[in-house]
Amino acid sequence: MRLINALISDIKFQSKQGFYLVYVIITAMYLIILSLLPENITSIALPLVVYSDPSVLGLFFIGGIIMLEKGQGVIQVLIVSPLTTGEYIVAKVISLTIVSVAAASAITALSFDGALNWAVFLVSVALTSGIFTLCGVVINAGCTTVNQYILKTIPYMLLLVLPCFSILGSNLLYPLTLIPSVAALRLMLGAFSETVWYESAALILYLFMANFLLYKYAVKVFEKKTVYQD
Amino acid sequence: MIHIENLEFTYSNSNKKAINNMDFSIKKGEIFGFLGPSGAGKTTTQKLIIGLLRNYNGSIKVFGKERNLWGKEFYEDIGVAFDFPNLYLKLTALENLKLIGAYYKNGRRDPSSLLERVGLLPDKDVRAENFSKGMKMRLNFVRAILHNPELMFFDEPTSGLDPVNAHIIKDIILEQKSAGKTIFLTTHNMSVAEQLCDRVSFIVDGKIVVTGSPKDLMLEHGRKIIRIEYLKDDKLVCEEFEMRSLGHNQNFIEILNKYEVKTIHSCEATLEEIFIKLTGKNLL
Repeated sequence: MRLINALISDIKFQSKQGFYLVYVIITAMYLIILSLLPENITSIALPLVVYSDPSVLGLFFIGGIIMLEKGQGVIQVLIVSPLTTGEYIVAKVISLTIVSVAAASAITALSFDGALNWAVFLVSVALTSGIFTLCGVVINAGCTTVNQYILKTIPYMLLLVLPCFSILGSNLLYPLTLIPSVAALRLMLGAFSETVWYESAALILYLFMANFLLYKYAVKVFEKKTVYQD
Repeated sequence: MIHIENLEFTYSNSNKKAINNMDFSIKKGEIFGFLGPSGAGKTTTQKLIIGLLRNYNGSIKVFGKERNLWGKEFYEDIGVAFDFPNLYLKLTALENLKLIGAYYKNGRRDPSSLLERVGLLPDKDVRAENFSKGMKMRLNFVRAILHNPELMFFDEPTSGLDPVNAHIIKDIILEQKSAGKTIFLTTHNMSVAEQLCDRVSFIVDGKIVVTGSPKDLMLEHGRKIIRIEYLKDDKLVCEEFEMRSLGHNQNFIEILNKYEVKTIHSCEATLEEIFIKLTGKNLL
């Protein structure tokens, strides 16, 4: 019940702070750009655009949300309430995942009419959102200013996003799929192409595990750097 | 309710003890004031009891159980109002209360009646960002008591409030005490401590210097005399008399009978004077 209340709180907070309006504007921009591209390029650009939404945007959004909560001091109030760190983080992940899934679905439905495995697609968006939101919580834990957060985000982004280009290269680079961001992109691309089911299943399982481990780590780091002040 | 024994604490980035060999107890239904200048260790002690700081030496027992053995359920019965308002600025007063209140299992009080009590009901649908500091502090305060906690921590609860609203907050604190709640108050406002606290502790450099009821301390450290001001030949004259055998002091009786008395005061010490006397430090 507390988790549901935390989720409702997060949705209310994000809505009042204007995050959803930003999302709508960005989604509209994506749609306009995609509509201007030739059809053969759209099918390549779309998965990349949709991938960047829960990943890059998600990372900055979670940073902004937690920094606002820190700035307004409400995080201190939540810490001295029965809400657990785990519930706090899960509510953030779910609220941002809902937005990511909604935005990705809208962009894809309105700009793509080719073959698509919707189930795999939606799961890949959700799991990608989870990975990047949790990374955002970890990065944010020790930050006191937005600038600090942005600076700290850069190496994480390089580490997570650069290896994604390995997908374009030879199969020798396949082991880089162990990096969750690469696994997530591979899963998403798979939804748009004919991928063997067991590869998708393995990637989903792996990303679930990565989300779980990252969640455990995020709880630990958040408690160490944000909850306890010793 | 709270039992502290041989408490010691050092911040990880310091080699100086922030809290040094501290002992005190707070009984159920008591208002206990923690008084001292900034940096004395008041907030550190409060954070240790609340559980925001770990790795202490000694013992902190709250509700009969060692603090570091409590989980998150501890906060069901704890209310905390920090010394600055922590509010969702884009949410209204009512939304702020409902949102935080939703995290507690305990029977919640009606947010509207609490807002009415602190004069914020007409502004219940106004966003907190449009509130003055005083309004934010009042909202902050009622949020801490919304879930009807047994133990409350108030840090400078009347800071930033005008005398009328400060009076309302003090009244609510006394009502909480009458309802059997326990209150831990940290402040450097001596008059608030005098008016509210059953007992106070003076804290300096992480140590408790003295603990006692404000009344007892004021009498113990005061001068046992009375000061009388009266008009004599159109001039205001001030004289002091020993309290002992005052009823037989002919000079005093003569003043009462013969002159127009303007003021009569006993000369017990103020808490501020006692603090300075015992610690050699100022409270600010």
